[in-house]
Parts: sequence; structure tokens; C-alpha cells
Amino acid sequence: MTPADEKTRDFVFPRWLNTARPLLTLLAGGAGLFVLVLVAYGLSPDTLAVGYAPKQPIEYSHAMHAGELGIDCRYCHGTVEKAAHAALPTSQTCMNCHALIRTKSQKIALLLEKDAANRPIEWVRVHRLPRFVYFDHSAHVNRGVGCVSCHGRVDKMDVVRQEKPLSMGWCLSCHRHPEAYLRPPEFATKMDWVPPAGQDPAEYGRKLRADLRIDPPTDCSACHR
Amino acid sequence: MPPLDPIFRPTSSPEFWRSLDERAGTSEFRAFLEREFHGLPLPDAGSFDRRRFLQLMGASFALAGLSGCWGQKSYIAPAKTRPVERIPGVPQRFATCMELGGVAQRLFVTSYDGRPIKVEGCPSVARGGTSLLAQASVLELYDPDRSREVLLIDSSGRDRIVKTWDDFLVFAKPLMERFREAGGRGLAVLSEASSSLTLAAVRETLQQRFPEAVWCEYEPLSWDHEREGVRRATGRPGRPVYALDRAPVVACFDADPLGLHRNAVEQMHAFSRNRAPENGWMGRLYSFESTFSLTGANADHRFPVPSRLIPSILRALHEELYGDVAGRAIERLPLPEATRRALAVLLKDLRAARDEALAMAGPNQPPEAHELALSLCGARNVYFAGDPRPAVSGVRKEERSHLEGLRALTRQMAEGRIDFLVVLGGNPVYDAPVDLDFAGALKKVEHRAHLSLHVDETSRHCTWQLPRAHYLESWGDARDYEGLVCLQQPLIEPLYGGKTPAELLAALIGNDVLKGYDLVRRAVEPFVAEGGDFERSWRHAVHEGFVANSRPPLFPHEPRPVPKSVQAADPRPASLELVFRADAKVYDGRFANNGWLQELPDPLTKVTWENVALFAPATARELGVANETMVRLKYLGRDLELPAYVMPGQAPGTIGVSLGYGRTAAGHVGGHDEWGAAIVGSNAFALRTADAPWGGEGVVVEATGRRRPLAVTQNHHAIDTVGMKERGHRVKQLVREGTLAQFANDPAFAQRIGHRAEEFSLWKEHRYDGHKWGMAIDLSRCTGCSACVLACQAENNIPIVGRENVRIGREMHWLRIDRYFRGDEDAPSVAQQPVACHHCELAPCEQVCPVAATVHDREGLNSMVYNRCVGTRYCSNNCPYKVRRFNFFNYQKRLENDPQQEVCKLAHNPEVTVRARGVMEKCSYCLQRIQAAKLQAKNEGRPVRDGEVVPACMQACPTGAISFGDLNDRRSEVAARQSSPRAYGMLAELNVRPRTQYLARVRNPHPDLTGRQERGARSEDA
Repeated sequence: MTPADEKTRDFVFPRWLNTARPLLTLLAGGAGLFVLVLVAYGLSPDTLAVGYAPKQPIEYSHAMHAGELGIDCRYCHGTVEKAAHAALPTSQTCMNCHALIRTKSQKIALLLEKDAANRPIEWVRVHRLPRFVYFDHSAHVNRGVGCVSCHGRVDKMDVVRQEKPLSMGWCLSCHRHPEAYLRPPEFATKMDWVPPAGQDPAEYGRKLRADLRIDPPTDCSACHR
Repeated sequence: MPPLDPIFRPTSSPEFWRSLDERAGTSEFRAFLEREFHGLPLPDAGSFDRRRFLQLMGASFALAGLSGCWGQKSYIAPAKTRPVERIPGVPQRFATCMELGGVAQRLFVTSYDGRPIKVEGCPSVARGGTSLLAQASVLELYDPDRSREVLLIDSSGRDRIVKTWDDFLVFAKPLMERFREAGGRGLAVLSEASSSLTLAAVRETLQQRFPEAVWCEYEPLSWDHEREGVRRATGRPGRPVYALDRAPVVACFDADPLGLHRNAVEQMHAFSRNRAPENGWMGRLYSFESTFSLTGANADHRFPVPSRLIPSILRALHEELYGDVAGRAIERLPLPEATRRALAVLLKDLRAARDEALAMAGPNQPPEAHELALSLCGARNVYFAGDPRPAVSGVRKEERSHLEGLRALTRQMAEGRIDFLVVLGGNPVYDAPVDLDFAGALKKVEHRAHLSLHVDETSRHCTWQLPRAHYLESWGDARDYEGLVCLQQPLIEPLYGGKTPAELLAALIGNDVLKGYDLVRRAVEPFVAEGGDFERSWRHAVHEGFVANSRPPLFPHEPRPVPKSVQAADPRPASLELVFRADAKVYDGRFANNGWLQELPDPLTKVTWENVALFAPATARELGVANETMVRLKYLGRDLELPAYVMPGQAPGTIGVSLGYGRTAAGHVGGHDEWGAAIVGSNAFALRTADAPWGGEGVVVEATGRRRPLAVTQNHHAIDTVGMKERGHRVKQLVREGTLAQFANDPAFAQRIGHRAEEFSLWKEHRYDGHKWGMAIDLSRCTGCSACVLACQAENNIPIVGRENVRIGREMHWLRIDRYFRGDEDAPSVAQQPVACHHCELAPCEQVCPVAATVHDREGLNSMVYNRCVGTRYCSNNCPYKVRRFNFFNYQKRLENDPQQEVCKLAHNPEVTVRARGVMEKCSYCLQRIQAAKLQAKNEGRPVRDGEVVPACMQACPTGAISFGDLNDRRSEVAARQSSPRAYGMLAELNVRPRTQYLARVRNPHPDLTGRQERGARSEDA
């Protein structure tokens, strides 16, 4: 064929593609499947959110304070039984002890500096829900959901780490079957609580649910406004 | 079987109608009705082919937010110490008050994390209801166009140098020293009307130290005529306090006690108390006015009469009542026969109710009209509160009207006798009578300082502009309508370091006490420390928001005949009359930059973002003026162009114009000539002279023929049940009303209107065993004031969309008030109906959503889940009530991109999601408040009590028209209302099972006037 002809004739696929076609189909399908799986597992909260342990401005160790020293969660996060937000403590709460204790420690130097300057400490948020989700701590803590159920063994963490995905599906798994996750409300902050021995845990949970009249909503309006 | 009442006789034109277009069945109206979404398809954007479309879509998908899900750090910064009782995320409420025109309105303001976000009324005042101006005031606090720093302005007005408060005081100090030596000569203060004890105390100190200083008080919309009328009738100036709940007859002559009145909120509440026919008796309201007002809309009998004839009407009634004239005074009045007949019937009612009758005249009527109106009142239901006016210091100490005071001050300024003028608030360059030439006189004053919220028209003519503290940022006080001392406490530190008028003056005169808190304490002390612990009483007063026992005693009324004034009959034939009125939304123009108010449809005309010249249909035809065209009004040598609007019910021969628009320096919302923001409306103050502050005869109208499409909402979301022809008859099923006689005959008359068969549903029925939320709206109590619409907007972060979008029907108000006319177009009556999502149990919207973004919860709420919505808009298509609103654009985008606008974010309610583009939204029955109440009850281990869940609309309503609660609670108010015989569901025949029911309106027309009025006969018929 002349060069002129080559330009004007219709496009024809090269012959070698005939043999490559099945392989290409397999590759295309596989790529599609790969992307699907990548998104489903790679972009799910289980992958992205769990394990998030950002560096904080002050190396505050929950393992030391809540674990070793045994300070109750509510000493600092006092609003958890009264309000939606479990508020972080004010510097004043920290200074209750640290005005006198370990004042020369390099680790709390920033605390003392910010307190003297009347500035807040900018903690990095670890457990973060999207803004269209309205979660209420008091409704859970007062009704028998322990801190450890959603936040894990904070009393063993030097750096706070997100243990659970906090995704909607994960929330619904408890809302649909709360029996497995309930405890008497007075033990909400007890990190190592186990159901009393000698009883079937499932039966214990069911009874607790009935006694406390727990009826978690599964409607959209429960959390989304 | 009750006899068929003539009101149900089908007529050829629709019985209820929303607009003259609808009545005539024009094609524009038809187009509006049939299109679900107007403004689509988008106008041609040039070459927009498929390839380009895909490119754009691809690009926007790539950029579309995967951002913000993760990867971005989020911080929590707790305060160093937390104030006592403050829990982050839990709102607190504080008592304060808002002063408007010298009268305080008591408020409880919700503060979230240290900033005020929502205004409510004080629960002991009108059930906690508020006016719409109070609801919108919180947006003013966060207005990004507010003045943020002290400015020194040069003589051209253009050069503005940023200074500080210290700079100003350093400048003022030697000046004030000079004045002190001169005894105050050359110093003048121009203040807004204020009943503040704090300001009065500082003024007294000022007058002691500067005896010859001039103090002038000016309020553009003043009640001086009423004050003078009261003075003539009783011997001392005062304000009438009406017991609207006890009066069997109330006659309003251009008066608007339910709308544009300083005491409107309490009066609405009182009025509503005798409008429930279940109470056994109902009062009767007559209204004779030139322009439709809220009172006219709620009247049992409303007749349009020109404002200039009202003094004659009152004189005629007075003569016949006091019987000292033989002959029929009413018959001689130059009015249509139907109006004269109504006046004769009114006279009968006044005679019958002699001691308990009420009559009142509007602020635009001359003092003698007020005197006459008071003579018609009985002694029992009106009292007077003192209306003290600060005496003008100087040689003469008599109390002047605002206009006279301003006139005298302007003359002094023009003669160069004032060297330093301090203007406290107000905007006299904009709203002073134009013939006084205040701006010109201002130039003759060497130093001029303006304390104001914005750098407005007056500030630009001054040498110093000083930022003012908003009432939500101030310590202060004011007296309410009856004289009770109400305290103002700040809910937030002044955002821009502003000062209150008292603080500014205190600093200027070198007072020993400078801070607002201390000034208020000192001023209020005589009222608080009535023997006992001042600290304790003071704290209690601040907590409650008022000082107990501080109301001076009211003085009673003794009706007596009014001597005849010498009044020559005017032989000239009547010419067109121009009637000025305050605007229901921007008042006198001070709220022009408030987007919520500009976008709120005017309660009667339903016009937004504009002021219009109102023409009666007959007058418009006569003058050849078409609707929505520009006209030029020529009055007393000046002219003004504005759009004409043909308004049914406007008195023929009168033209109604609202004041408060056409501002050139309001801001980005209200118009600004320097910033390129479109000016909203036309400035009617340009026609207002000192001799005719409320208008008068002699206006000439020139039709220009230029079209000016208006953003009017009255035809939007019109409900089309069976097509246009039938609709007019069927609308009476949507808004049901009847007379007291019908109600007495058959309490369930409302349920017989329309045809209803018992239906079954194709869907599985649900049982609601827990809470069963429902709402009842009593149309007998609803006045149509629209406070609920604004309360909803404030509570739920509803955006404003601007004029163009409102014009094509895209306004975002979740709650709208449908206004229908009834009767003939010259003298119609009005029916108002608030409509929001009815949370139907068998909701048509839920059945068609492809992604299940709108679902029903087990308590009966129809939940709109924004994050699932993809924007199909099928739900809105299927909604029979047309209550769903779509976010066509990202209306909140300006808050993200512009650092100047960021302050607006503070106005948002954090409990409610802020919606982005592409999602549908609608009334949620204030789900956030339901949840808050439920959680509170759960934490306290008790069930939710009736009255604990109060949606924003219910809370703002001064009359208690809206009622909400648990229908499963048999003792709840809403259950009682829904089981009332007056209750009906709107469009219930569609079997959607709406949870919102309406209670039919019952009016109380006089039997002698019923047939004629209700049959919709033309007013000229014999």
C-alpha cells in the first residue's frame, strides 16, 4: 500500500491483538475487581481509622494516669455523663496536680507555659465522626455502655489510639444487638470489667437489657439531623 | 342538616385566590403552577456540547470532596478554665432585652459555647413569643459589614483612616474642655429614642456639666401624633395600653396593633385569647385602612378607606355616639355605600359595648384623630403608660415632638452654632425629612462623630465613625411598653470593641464611671435597692431580665367628647393620596442589611427584596399602570421611581409606599454604592417632608411602562389539586374558615367542607407505640406575622438565596405562610395558613426516593438524611404540599472562601447540619430539639413531659397558634387540639395521614354584614 493509502483507509486493529484478547479481558476484569476490593477494604474505616494514633503536643500518657495512678475517666472527661461531648479537661484540671507535682519535668513544660500564658493546648482529635453525625455520650455512658467498648483499653495506651472503626455499620451492630455489649452503668469506666462468673454472658446481657429497658433506635433520625 | 351557607355557593371565579393573576387565570400563573422547578432548563450557556459536559463532569468528580474524610488533622482546644455551669456543647439561656424605637422587648437568648445564636421571647410575656425583628436581630450581630474599627474620615468622605478609641478620646479631650469653659455652647447630641435609665443618667451629668449643650432625640417613625392625642384627651402625654383580650369590639382606623406597633407582641397574644370560639365568646375586630396591614388581614370586617378621610370618619362616629348632632353624620361621608353601612353597624356595636369598646388610630393619623379614637373607647379596656421624653436642655424645657426637635437642631447646625455633634445611632442623613437638608446642615458643623453599627450614609458625612456595640454585646437597660425597667446583659464580648451610647458619652464627658456594667448598676440602683441587699437584688434582676416593681402605675381613661375643631370643608375634588408606612421587615431602614429580613416575604404583599408602590386595582386601571412596571411618583416637587404593584384591598385613590429601602450604604445585602452591591428598593424618604411625614394628597403618577419583574412568592408552591378551574373552589378545603354563627350551629363545620371517604392504604400500616409526634396549627389564632418563618430560619441554618433565585421560586424557607384573598378584588378578606412538612404517615415523598434518603422513623417523623440524598428531586415532585426545598447551589460557599464573611459562621446552630449543594431539605419538626428533650429526660430517668419539646416556630409564635407534642400522650395539648371538632387535615383525602392538623378559622362577623361580605359582592352594590 502506498503511504497515501495508509492514511486514508479505515483503522484496523493489529493482528497480534487476536491472541492477546483473552488475556486482556482477564486483565481488565481483574483490574476492575482489584479496584473494587481496594476501595472496599482499603478505604473502609477499619483500615483508615483504626490504628490512628497522632502525636500530641504534650506526651500525655493515659497508661500512667488512668492505668497506674487509677484516675477515673470522669475526673478529666467530666461532662460525659451530662452532655453529648466528652469534653477534654481544661488546663486547670491538669494544674490541680501539676502545679505542685513534677513541675520541673520536661514533658509538662508546655502545659505550664500555656497555662501561664492563658492559652489553650491544641490537642489533636483522635476519635472523629463526620459532622452530620450527632453522637451523645451521656445517652450511652448512663445506660451501660462502657468506655472500653468504643475506645478500647485506654488505660494501657501511652499514646491514644483509635481501636474501633466508629463506622455506621459498626454502631448499628451494637444498636441491633446491645446485649453483647452492656454492663451495669456504675461500671462504665471500669476498663477490665467482665460479666460476673457463673452466668451465661448472653443471658446476663439480655437480662440487663430488659432491666434497664434499653431500646436503641436504628432509625436514621437517631443520629442524623 | 345545617342550611347551606351562602359562602359555599360556587361562583364563577375562584373563591379563594392568591393573586390577581390566578384570579384571571393568566398564562404566567398557569406556567408557574405546572412547573415544579422554575428556572429550568438553564438558560443557554453558549456552545455546551456533550463532550464539554463530560469534561466538566469528569473534572468536578475528580475534585469532589474526598478531602475532609481523613488525612486532615482536627484539633480540640479546651479553654484554660471553664466558666461555672458551662458545658461545651450545651446551650445556655440568658435574659436580655432589645430596644426598638425606645421600647424594650424582653428576650431570652440562647448562647452556645459563649456566643448567642437564637433569640426567644421571655416565657412570661406573650407565651415566649417574639416579633420577627427580634428573631432576625441575631444575624445583625454577625453581620460581616459591621463597622470594625474607629475611622477618621476626611472632608471628601472618601478617605478613611483607621484609628483607635484612644485616638478619638485624645482628640475629643481638649474639645470637651473648651466646651466646659463655654458652658456647653456648641455641643450637641442627637440620639435615637431611648427609654434607658443609664443613658438618662449620663445625659443628666452631661447637662449639669454642659448646661447649654443641646440634646435632641429623633426617631424617623415616631408616635408623636398619638402622644399628642393622648395629651389632649387626658392632659398628659402617654401611651395607650389596650386590653385586647377583653374588648368585645375593637375598631382600628389605619391602626395596626397586631403588626407595626411597639407593643405588637403582647397585643397579638391578648387578641388571640378571645379568638378561640371554644371559650364561649369572641370579640369582633373592624379595620378601616388604606393599605392592607396584619390587623386588616385578621379583621372580621375590613374596608379600604383613604387615610385622609379617617379623621372625618372618626368625627362622624364621635358625633353620632355622643349624640349632640341631629342627623346622620355617617351618611354624609364621601364613601361607598357598603363602607358607610359597615360604619353604621360598627356604631351599633360601639353603643352596645359602650364601656368596653376599643378604637384606635394609626401613627400616621393627626393628633385629633387619636383624640377622637380615644373618645370612642370605653373606660374599661384602655389605660395609659407614661411616655416620658427627655426635655430638651437649654433655655426652653418643654417636651417636643421628634420632628420639631430635629428641625430646631438642624436650624442651629445650619447657622453654624454647633461645633461638635455626636450622633448616637440612627441614620439622620438617610431618614431625616428631606426638606430639612440635614446633610447640608451637617457640613456646617466642624466636628461630627457617629456611633453606629455600620459605616452608613450618616457616617460618611461625619468626621469620626465609631463602632457601636450591638445589644447582644451590651450592658444596658430600657423600659418596655408599659414602663417596666428591663435589663440588657451582653452574651458576648463586643466583637469589634464597640461601645454603647452611654459608654461613649461617659468617656467624652469625663465621667468617673466608664464601664457599661458600672453605669447600669448605678442608674438602676434606685429601683433595685428597695431596702435590702443590693447585690442580691441586682443579680436577681439581671437573671430575670427586669427590675421587679419598677413599672409606674398606669393611669385610667375617662372618655369624654372632643370639642369640635375648626375645620373648613375642602372644596377641591380629592386627588391621589400618598401614604407612607413603616416596613414590616426593615422597619425604618435600619435592618436593610439583614438578609433574612430582606428575603422574608412581606406578610401581606409577599414581595421580597424590594419596596413597591401599592395601587388598588381600580386606581391602576384608571391610571393605566400595569403590575410590575416602574412608575414615577411626583410629590411636592420631588420624584421617585419604583415598581408598581397592584394590591387587592388597597384603598382606591391612595398609593401605599414602604419606607426603609433604597439605602446606598447598607452593606453587601442591602445595597452599597461604593462596593457595587445592588441597591435594594427605592428610597421613599426622598419624598418625605417635615410637614407631611406620613404623606398626603397631591401625588402624581407617571407610568413609564418599563417592566420590573418582582421577586414575589405568592404564586410559588401553589397547591394544584385538580387543575385550575376546580382549584379555586377546592382551596377552601385547604384553608377552612367559617363564622361564629356557623360554629355555634355545627362545631364540626370544618369537617364537612370537602368530600372525604374512608380509605385503606396499599402499604403496611405501622403502629406508633412510643412517642407519636404531631402538630396542630390553629388558624383562628395565627395572625400571619411570620415570626415563625424567621425563627425556623435562625434555628435550622436556612440560607438566603437572593433576589433572582426567589423570583424563580427557589427560596429556602422551610415554613411558608400562604396568603389567600377572598371576596372581590376591591375589598377582599385575607386568610393566612402556615405550611411546613406535615410528616405524613404514608408519605408520598418516601415512596419515590431512589436512594432511601427520606425515611420514616418509629416516632412518626419523616427524616431527611442529607448525606444520602443525590438530588433527584423526585420527592419534591411527589409532595402534595410542596414543602420540600432543594439546594440548587452551595449557598454557604461564601463562608468558606471569604475571610471577611467568616464571622457569619458564628450565627449557625451547631446542632443542625449545614447543607451543601445538591441535597433536599425540609422541616424536621426541629428534630434537634426533640432529641435534646428525649436525652435530657432519659438522663433524668423520666418520661418526656408535654410542652418540653418546643419547635422553633411554636416558640416564636406570640399567639400560641402552633402546638406540638406527643399524640400518644392523651393529656397533651396537641392531642386535645387534634381531637377538636375544628380540626382537619390538609389534603387528607389523598390518604397521606398528615401529622400536622389545622384548626379551622372562625371569624365573628356582625350578622347584619355577613351575607353581603361573604357573598363577595362588589362594594358599590346597594
